[in-house]
Amino acid sequence: MGLTAAEYATVRQPVYIGVRGCSECHAGGAMGHQFSKWRLSAHARAYASLANPEARAIAELSGIREEPQEAKMCLGCHATAAEAEDWERLEDFHLEDGLQCEACHGPGSEYAVREIMMNRAEAMARGLRLIDKQSCMVCHKTKGSHVAVLNSPPFDPEEAWKRIAHPVPEVKPDPAPPAAESDPAPPGPHQYTGVMACSACHQGERFGFQFSKWRETPHARAFADLASPRGYEIAGQEGVPGDPTASPQCLRCHTTGHGLAAGAFAAGFDPRDGVQCEACHGPGGDYSPEAVMLDKLAAADAGLLPVNEATCPGCHDNAHGKPFNYREAVRAIRHPSRKPALVGKPRYKTPLQPVFTPDGQELWVTCEAGDCVSIIDPVSRTRVAEITVGGQPTDVCFDPSGARAFVSNRLDDSVSVIDTATRSVLRTLAVGDEPHGVLVDREGRRLYVLNTSTDSISVFDLTTFAEVKRLAASRAPWSLDLSPDGSRIAVTHTLPQFDAPRTTSRSELAIINAGTGRIEDRILVPDANLLQGIAWHPDGEYALFTLLRTKNLVPMTRLLQGWTITNGLGVLWKDGTVDQVLLDLNQRCFPDPAGVAITPDGRYGLVTSSGSDRVAVVDLARLTGMLKDASPAERRRILPNHLGAPHEFIAKFIDVGISPRGVVCAPDGRSAFVANALDDSVSVIDLDRLEAVAKIDLGGAKELTQARWGEQLFHSANITFRRQFSCHTCHPDGHIDGITYDIEPDGIGVSPVDNRTLRGINDMAPYKWEGTNPTLKRQCGPRLAVFFTRIDPFTPEQLDALDTYICTIPRPPNRYRRLGEDLSPAQRRGKAMFERTMTNAGEVVPVERRCTNCHPPPLFTDGRRHDVGTRGPLDREGRFDAPHLNNIYDSAPYLHDGRSHSLEEIWTVFNPYDEHGVTNDMTKDQLNDLIEYLKTL
Amino acid sequence: MKREHAIALGLAACLYGGLAAQNQPGSAAVDKPAPRPDPGRPYVYTQWEHFTKADGLPNEHIFAVKVAGDQVWVGTENGLARYDKRTGAWRSWTEADGLPWRVVSGIDVHPKTGEVWIGLFGGGLARYSAGRFDHFHQLNSGLVNDVVYGVAVEHDNIWVATTAGASRYDTIGDKWSIYTEKNAPMEEIWNYGVCYNDGLVHLGVWGSGVLEFDVATGRWKDYLDPDREMEIDLYRDDGIIHVITTGVSYVEKTLWVSTYFGVCRYDGRHWRGWYAHESGLPSDFNNFVKGRSAREAWYCTDKGVGALMDFDTDTWVTYTTDGAEHAGQAVIQRGETPVATIETGYNLSHNYALAVDFDGNDVWIGTSKGLCRGVGTGYYSGLRPSSGAALVKQ
Repeated sequence: MGLTAAEYATVRQPVYIGVRGCSECHAGGAMGHQFSKWRLSAHARAYASLANPEARAIAELSGIREEPQEAKMCLGCHATAAEAEDWERLEDFHLEDGLQCEACHGPGSEYAVREIMMNRAEAMARGLRLIDKQSCMVCHKTKGSHVAVLNSPPFDPEEAWKRIAHPVPEVKPDPAPPAAESDPAPPGPHQYTGVMACSACHQGERFGFQFSKWRETPHARAFADLASPRGYEIAGQEGVPGDPTASPQCLRCHTTGHGLAAGAFAAGFDPRDGVQCEACHGPGGDYSPEAVMLDKLAAADAGLLPVNEATCPGCHDNAHGKPFNYREAVRAIRHPSRKPALVGKPRYKTPLQPVFTPDGQELWVTCEAGDCVSIIDPVSRTRVAEITVGGQPTDVCFDPSGARAFVSNRLDDSVSVIDTATRSVLRTLAVGDEPHGVLVDREGRRLYVLNTSTDSISVFDLTTFAEVKRLAASRAPWSLDLSPDGSRIAVTHTLPQFDAPRTTSRSELAIINAGTGRIEDRILVPDANLLQGIAWHPDGEYALFTLLRTKNLVPMTRLLQGWTITNGLGVLWKDGTVDQVLLDLNQRCFPDPAGVAITPDGRYGLVTSSGSDRVAVVDLARLTGMLKDASPAERRRILPNHLGAPHEFIAKFIDVGISPRGVVCAPDGRSAFVANALDDSVSVIDLDRLEAVAKIDLGGAKELTQARWGEQLFHSANITFRRQFSCHTCHPDGHIDGITYDIEPDGIGVSPVDNRTLRGINDMAPYKWEGTNPTLKRQCGPRLAVFFTRIDPFTPEQLDALDTYICTIPRPPNRYRRLGEDLSPAQRRGKAMFERTMTNAGEVVPVERRCTNCHPPPLFTDGRRHDVGTRGPLDREGRFDAPHLNNIYDSAPYLHDGRSHSLEEIWTVFNPYDEHGVTNDMTKDQLNDLIEYLKTL
Repeated sequence: MKREHAIALGLAACLYGGLAAQNQPGSAAVDKPAPRPDPGRPYVYTQWEHFTKADGLPNEHIFAVKVAGDQVWVGTENGLARYDKRTGAWRSWTEADGLPWRVVSGIDVHPKTGEVWIGLFGGGLARYSAGRFDHFHQLNSGLVNDVVYGVAVEHDNIWVATTAGASRYDTIGDKWSIYTEKNAPMEEIWNYGVCYNDGLVHLGVWGSGVLEFDVATGRWKDYLDPDREMEIDLYRDDGIIHVITTGVSYVEKTLWVSTYFGVCRYDGRHWRGWYAHESGLPSDFNNFVKGRSAREAWYCTDKGVGALMDFDTDTWVTYTTDGAEHAGQAVIQRGETPVATIETGYNLSHNYALAVDFDGNDVWIGTSKGLCRGVGTGYYSGLRPSSGAALVKQ
């Protein structure tokens, strides 16, 4: 019998004690040398292996930009309790020990007591877990990123189970005869601190991952090796009776500092760490402080020994009959302290937005992949400078004097303030999540920053650089432009508003009063989404903005009125009314309109199509004339869908570079400049001839990597019927478009599915909400060909490249909890709710209805389908893939058909019978806590 | 809109003069102690404007009034209204116009963004911004309960007083906090009123007095009736007068409190309580309070409005109306002693008052039958010498 509910409630919160705590009992022959068996396993090296170049490659394939040893996703399976807070780990617990006993058996503080462990039921009631082979699959499931780099065969749980078997012997071995131990030698002048003390500094990229390198050497396994069958065998050959781990003869060379009296060792020193740093470098008690180590002479005086050919022979000279070559041995354990050289990885620029300085003398271009701003001399058409800014710079603006520039850094949630004279970053402003558009008002008083992921607009006072207010935007504010009279700022939004199911998208244009710094109007654009670029006409009568008209309510088999997604242009009149027209032609669409600029004379509008590598030149007099000649009904219902109308006002299409995004006209009106994101160039358009006349190279890598090719394919509409849309269209920047689609030809409205983010998708197989595609290749290959492309599918080579790119789409760091941060009290309470096994009434929550059952860390999905009671009348079935929960806060709506607009609704509205976890007993504050925790994952 | 230009009657002046004459030294009352000199007179609102459905209100049961610059926001039993003082135009919203819930019980305006935060009685919380309503309720957000009585903006946080505790919404971090008996000294969780000023949030809690939340430290302080007597105020001025609290207002470091059993004031050191029988309160049944300064506060009761115009001298002006006749009075009272009665003409829209806000010299009062504005031409705080001139219509 386990504990009763009442007794259970008295059990304290368990904490992790670390493998060394476990080893107090689980070592030695009587326990089957369990500790040493673990030490010899890959589990013990799991953390150290993250220092290998392969780990870096795997991380990149998973969209992880941090060092693997600092990435929550990697540490989730390569360490124990990486997500735990400091207080949940005892002092003797070391993350560096990799996958320890408690990774499988649960935190041990409450059960790891001899008396409790003698009663298995009680130990289990106190948190001891005895896992089955299936549990291993949480970490050992096939992960595309790992297969791609390691080419490892599928995980065989049966074999693995045998490999790590660590039974307690039923028959205890005879205790070894007492060793002829001589009296311990007196301690030397310096104490041994142990390798874990050394590792406090000597790890990580800065020190060349020295600790991890040591951990992978035989030195680290030297003690554990003694417990292996081979260890016993050699000991026997050497005439050592019994257990070699107890033999002074063996321990002299298989541990560090053996034979010395207890006073020679500092607390924390563990001889079972084998041949440690101090075995060669001398006991470090006095030289290990950083101040001493920085002074070579002082360190030598304090006991730091030089390592040379005389160091090793004491143990290695013909040991066990093996010859020893000093040079080869040193090469094998080489551990330079310098940062490892960067592998020659191609570095691209990915220019997004060109903007002229106020004096028109320079063109500044944000480069997303280069983390920089390129500065171009528009006369010589050359790149003259480059300024490093934050991660993923997206937009740039200037104050009216041109003295300062402001660059939004999407990955870092910041704005770089640049002194344009010295071209140096003066300061960095913290803003909301994923900032995109930036703008300074005409007076230079306020800076506006669009926070795309938090649906807000930061407003800074430029005299103090303080954020003075944050305005509520709609979903994903994207670009903004100041009206010619300086009075109003128009803001586009890429994601549509949340609306009722089975309704078309409506997206917002917000109008900021530049005088008050407040939003004064919000204009809904019906049937439209992905509103991106915007530019006011010089006469201030209207602004142009790009848009998509997505027909997501009917299956993708319907071709009427332009098939699935039509691409167009909006006209925002100064009275707040809006017209929409298409830029698609009947047989040649204009996919992914992204940027728009208007020539200074107001004659032309230039619109980029990132999916077709073109710029459309819109004759604005003809466009506005057409609109004004049309009846209100025609403007409302006919022109927004009319594929013939563009012939009336498109003067020309101009081919430019790959995936053009931002466009700007030179102040003199003679040329325009287009940022070609995926060939690292800027095209120059002669506005008299309406031709691309030059291409400015921004200096990106010339080598086309698999991932870069895949990125180009992802953003190209060449693969789809009528070249209407690209992968990027529905997954802008690899994320979401916030729309629920009716894709398959199973009837109108049947099985609508919410569009899911591609961030971090690589290891999240299977794919589709119904989990029917086991691999990304299947998802992007045959499935895409059937429903989306309708012409030739991707070739196998293209598919490889596309998949590689999709896997490398960066996942932004979690904004609610950085690695190593403590949880807030609410998050901590929420974690307890997430992991709870008992209801508020003290009843056991069925295993299959616990959060962690379907959403186990670190991926927070078990990769299986579950019926959580969300099958709707339009669904073909009720079992859906368990989505991962990483950064779950930034991908609303939720559930398979996007019916839940907030995390709360998942449980308050759509879980009436506790099928999606037992949640109905939760109080409101408990549910709030749970959600606060979910946001940290 | 009806504008009633009340005429101060000569009769009132005569009456007041008569009372004053009785208090002159050497009069017939020679055996009485010498009266204290007249400290002066408070300002009396004699010019009132009234607003009803005919003017543009969606409903005449007014639950909330909030003045923000040139705009006056009004919450009613069936809709939200906005009055533009520059143009005199009304705009109103009901559920048909996008208002998420019909009953608007609390309003506050974010001073920096201009966003209007709206408490919805039974419908949660809404944000109005440039024509768009965003709806936060207990099913789609972390709001603790949908029965909302009051709303207050504190920095970028929105405090919401509900029937099941208080919520604080961090609009920057998109995070909700809940305060109930679990984590605050809330003996009851029925939060009636909330206000923010000077770094302190005050909650008026039905049955739990007043709770004070220090924003800087995150610490709570509770104000309960120390004598713990629900029926009588056993020890006068020992603390809050009663724990059935309906409204709180904190201004110039002074806390004004309304309860269903009297009202009180706390200056950080001393409490002072009042009942109707000893003050200018029309009734002990108080729905709401708004402090204008450390010396002036207006109490909305079920029988009119009691305005403590000068704390130092305990000088009140009590406004009541005879709705049927469209007549009204303002009674000046010092403590329990009437000093003067001024016939103001139609003043309050109705004696059952639920909301009040100040607008420069003017005062807006929401009642169960319409909204009114006291036009405060020549308003002054405190008292002025009793020349009698103030009796004349300003």
